[in-house]
This record gives sequence, structure tokens and C-alpha cells, in this order.
Amino acid sequence: MSGTPGAAMSGYLAYVGRRLGQFLLVVFIGINIAYVVTHASPIDPVEQSISAVTSYGNTAPAAIEQMRNSLRELYGLGGTPVEQYLQFWKRILRADFGPSMSAFPTPVGTLIARALPWTVGLLAVSTIVAWGLGNLLGGLAGYYRQSQGLKLMGVVAMGLHPIPYYILAMLLLIVFGFLWPVLPISGGSAMNLPQTLTPEFVLSVLQHAILPALSLILIGVGSWFLGMRSLVSHVVAEDFVVYAELAGVRPRRILTSYVMRNALVPQVTGLAMSLGGIFNGAVITEKVFGYPGLGSLLVDAVYAGDYGLVLGVTTISILGVSIGVLAIDLLYPLLDPRVKIS
Amino acid sequence: MHANTEQPLPRQEQPILRVRDLHAQYRTSPFGVGRGVKAVDGVSFAVRRGEVYGLAGESSSGKTTLIKSIAGAIRPPLEIVGGSVEFAFLPGYGGLQRAPRADVARIRWRNLSYIMQGSMSVLNPVRRVGSAFVDFAYPHIGGSRKQFERQVIAHLERVRLDASVLAAFPHELSGGMRQRATLALATICRPDFIIADEPTTALDVVVQKEVLGMMRGIQRETGSSVLFVTHDMGVHAHVTDRLAIMYAGRLVEEAATARIFRKPLHPYTRHLISSLPRIGDDAPREGLGGSPPNLADPPSGCRFHPRCPLATEICRREVPAMLEADDGHRVACFAVDQGGRA
Repeated sequence: MSGTPGAAMSGYLAYVGRRLGQFLLVVFIGINIAYVVTHASPIDPVEQSISAVTSYGNTAPAAIEQMRNSLRELYGLGGTPVEQYLQFWKRILRADFGPSMSAFPTPVGTLIARALPWTVGLLAVSTIVAWGLGNLLGGLAGYYRQSQGLKLMGVVAMGLHPIPYYILAMLLLIVFGFLWPVLPISGGSAMNLPQTLTPEFVLSVLQHAILPALSLILIGVGSWFLGMRSLVSHVVAEDFVVYAELAGVRPRRILTSYVMRNALVPQVTGLAMSLGGIFNGAVITEKVFGYPGLGSLLVDAVYAGDYGLVLGVTTISILGVSIGVLAIDLLYPLLDPRVKIS
Repeated sequence: MHANTEQPLPRQEQPILRVRDLHAQYRTSPFGVGRGVKAVDGVSFAVRRGEVYGLAGESSSGKTTLIKSIAGAIRPPLEIVGGSVEFAFLPGYGGLQRAPRADVARIRWRNLSYIMQGSMSVLNPVRRVGSAFVDFAYPHIGGSRKQFERQVIAHLERVRLDASVLAAFPHELSGGMRQRATLALATICRPDFIIADEPTTALDVVVQKEVLGMMRGIQRETGSSVLFVTHDMGVHAHVTDRLAIMYAGRLVEEAATARIFRKPLHPYTRHLISSLPRIGDDAPREGLGGSPPNLADPPSGCRFHPRCPLATEICRREVPAMLEADDGHRVACFAVDQGGRA
């Protein structure tokens, strides 16, 4: 039955090893799919670059041919498909995605590094705030079902939930950007400020983040709230909760250690998935609010047929989601002792 | 209507629990039509100090509702509509649900504990067994944590459990171990009164006998009173001192357990007892015709009359009072004369 602590520990280590193997396999397959999909795109980045250059005037055909060859080399598009593929993996393993084709000659890595802090800052904060707030209020609403205030919260959450996200985002823009123009409507910070850690810059970043964060939190709180409330309303009817109540255990203790503790297990899974998904960028949010994050970068890269950039962003998000899933798998046995490690 | 309400209870010394003319209903109003299920309808009895009082009856006879009403575990749609429940350690309120919260919190587990039906699921699945002892009993016992732990370990020895169960999660224990742990949990505070609701129904007979023996042993040692509820007449014969038979929300008979088995008076009790198998007796058992009444619309008069072989005109019209037929032997039946014979 319950083995010795030593055996349990080595069992856990074997489990970690297996999960790490799965993780690497998933990442490998994911990156391959991204490679195939981007290379199947009808847009030829080399021809696009050439037409961009030649549109400014006459260029000798020989020079064009030379340019074409050197561009192919640069983008890793030279040689046979097999050679291209091997070349691609060599670069990936060095974390080198080559130069961006649309923002030539800036390397893809630099573009991603520039966009990443914006996306992660905005999404990590709003995801965690929404998760914490939604679960806390949802848990309370499920436990204190007679409370009028929490009932009202439920109605508001139910009302917000079905509104499509982009409508809500637009509404916020219209209300706080035009009807009552108190907040900036676009960008990550004021254009005229240097991006250094001065108080003005930080303040400007916060101001610009309010609307996108608010839109994400409003939608997020609503769905976590509804999920948690229904989980809790099931848990309170469980025998072990009724028993603890009959035993006169303090209500606050019952709420935290008995009800919330059990209801939170599936919610933690959801949080890890959402945090992993951060690296996809919130495409709609960033487009609507003109936010300089990964989502905007990805969409622009797709339009420009910028292979390297699309692959770079995709690889980052594949890693993000896979790490999220890996983290849940490794944490789950600690959260719920009933999960068997086998 | 309730002819048995004013009948004096048999003489007893210092009852620990006195239930007087208790009426409890499940009130619902589907489609706006009020509907009341009279699950407990005019029940009176008393439990003496140090005795194990049995309560028998088939499914849906109102046993569980009666226990919930006594334990103050009243949630809508269940409602107490009349009568009183008085524990010697919480005098003057006529029911736990009417007493001040602080008083109820003080007596729960200290004076009144439970062993619940489905003891498999009464422990919090995500916390260790030891934490239940801390949550339930430590506020009442106090002292240093070390001292408390020693006391718990000593108490676990009474149910032949090792101290290691405290560090285990509920799912790591076998059914019998979990039941014994629950038994230890319910008796650690040496309560005056224990409500045991089908405590061994889910166990196989060997484990059942073991657990019942331990329970009886601890009860003798601590002098607790027990209200022992099960449909299993064999268990009653084994464990209880006195026994009450419940049918369709009312008590129909009450006497010392040995006496009920030797000389049952009520036709329903007689049927229950004659249906028990005996070694060497292979005569076919006769089934009782009909089925238990629908408590939303119970039969008039004596609720057993549609299934009773002795029913006469008066049984259809009037409710038989619970009268003392013999020394300490109460029965509610018109067919039983006061000499104690049917």
C-alpha cells in the first residue's frame, strides 16, 4: 500500500523522467509541424524582398539573380529540402532564427526579445489577477449562497461571460478613450519617452496597460468565478464537508481547508494552461489596443510571409504551453494525493 | 390527530436525550404547489445515560431524517415543524437548531459526536488523517500539540491502529482501517452522546464484527450513550441495549433488545424478526405484501394498516397511541391488548 518514503521518492523521480521525455517529444513534433506549415505558405519571402528592392528602379538581371541566391542562403532556403531541414534544426538548437525577412536585417531573436516583456507583463499579471479574484469570489459565492452581494456578482458574471471579447474591448475603448477620454487608447507607452526605467516611463506603461488588462481581467474573472462557484457547490455537499460541519469545525477552516482546497485542484490545472498560453500572445487584445507584444508581431509576420519570425514566435509558444503542461503534471501529485504516480 | 403526544414516557433516570413529539417535513413547492413529505411524524423517546439505543426500520422509514433533526443538521427543504429535542448537556432550547451558535459549537464533538453513514467518504481526501483529529478534537482538548498527539496515538491503540495512519491520506487506508480511524475520531473526546448512522453497513461481516466489538468496548469504557441506527436486525441483536422500531415516520415499538427479539408485539416487528434466518430452520420466509407507504400521502390511521394482517376498522380511522404494554415495553397497535398479547 503506502510504500516507504524512499521508494515513493524514487518513484516520483522516475515519473519526472518520463514526463520530461514526453515534453521533449511534444516540443519536437510541435516545431516540426510549425516548420511544415510555414514552408507550405504560398508567400515566397525571397521574391517579396526582391520585388521590394526592384520596385525602386532598374536593377540588372544578373544582380537580381545574385541577390536571390544570397537571400536564399541567408534565410536557410538554399539546397535540397533535406539540407534545408537539417540546417533549420542546427539553427533552432543554437536558438538562432536568422534575420527577420520583414524587418531585415534585425535578427528574429531581437524582435522576439523586444516584444516578449510586453506580452508577458500584461498577460501574466492579468491572468493571475483574474484567476485569484475569480476563484476567491467564486468560492465565497458557492459557499455563502445566501449572500445578496455574491448573488449579484453571479448575475454580473453570467452577463459578462457571453459577450464576445472583442466587443467588450471595443466598448472599453469607446468609453474610456472617446466618451470619457481619460486613458490612452493605443500602444505600450507614450511614444516620446525613452524606454528606460524612469518614473515617467513606468507610469506611462501602467497607464497604457489599464485598458487591455481590464478587458482581460473582466472576461477572465467571469469565467473563473462561474467555474469555481459550480465546483464549490458540488464540494459543499460532499460527506466530508457535512461531517466537518457536524463536528463543529470552524466555518472559515471548512471553507479553506475542506471546500476550497478540494475545488481548487482542477482550477490550478486551468491556471497552468493559461499561463503556458501567454506566449501565444493575446492576438486580439494586442491588435485592438495596439500593444507591442508577441501577438501583434506574429500577425504582422504572417502577413509579411516572414518565415523565420513566424517560426520563432511559434517555437516560443510551443515551449510555453509544453512547460505549462509539464508543470501541472509535476505538481499534480503534490496537490492531490490521490493521483497515482504510475 | 396525534394521540400519542401527551402520553408520559416510561420512567427513566436522567435521560441524556429526550425527544418529544418530533415532527419533521421536507417542504418543497414544485410548480408553486406546496408539498410536504412527513418523514418524521410525532416521534417520542428517551435515551438513558450509558446505553446503546437502537433504531431500526427499512429504507425510507424516516430514520435518517430523525437523526438529522436530532443532530441539528437541518437544511432546506428539511424543516422541523413541531416537538423538541433536548440533550442533557444543552438544556433549555429544545433543539440544536434553536440554541445559540456558540453553545452548539462548544458541545459539538465535545459532548455529541457522529459516526456517519458512508464512513468511507467522511474524511477530507486531500489532507492527512491526522489533520482531521486536529480540526475536530484539538479545540476541545487543548494542551500542547505534542501532548495531544500522544493522546491521539494512545486512543488509536484502542482500535488497534498504528500511529502511522495519522500521516496517511484516507485513500491509502483499507475500508476497515478507515472505519476504525473514524471510530477513534468520534470517541477521542469521550463524548456523552454518539450518533451512529449505519456505521458498519458498507463493511464485510468479518470487519463489521470487529468494528462493532471495538465500538462496544470503547462505549463501555467511556460511558457514552449511543443512538445506533441500522436496518440490520442482526447488528441490533449484537450491539444495542434497547431497540425502537420505526415505520413510515413513526415509532411502532420500543423495548429492551432481548425482549423485542423474544417477544415482539407489533405485527410489523414480528414480521421483521420472523424474516431473520436461523441456522437449521429452512422453512420458507414469507414476504410482507405491499410496499412502504408514500410519505407525501401516507395512509390514514395506523400507517401500517394496508399491509397488516390484523387490521380492523379502527386502524384505518385512528392513530394508535404508543402505550406501555408491559414493563418498559411500548407499542403502538390497537390489536395489542394491555396485557401484552396480540
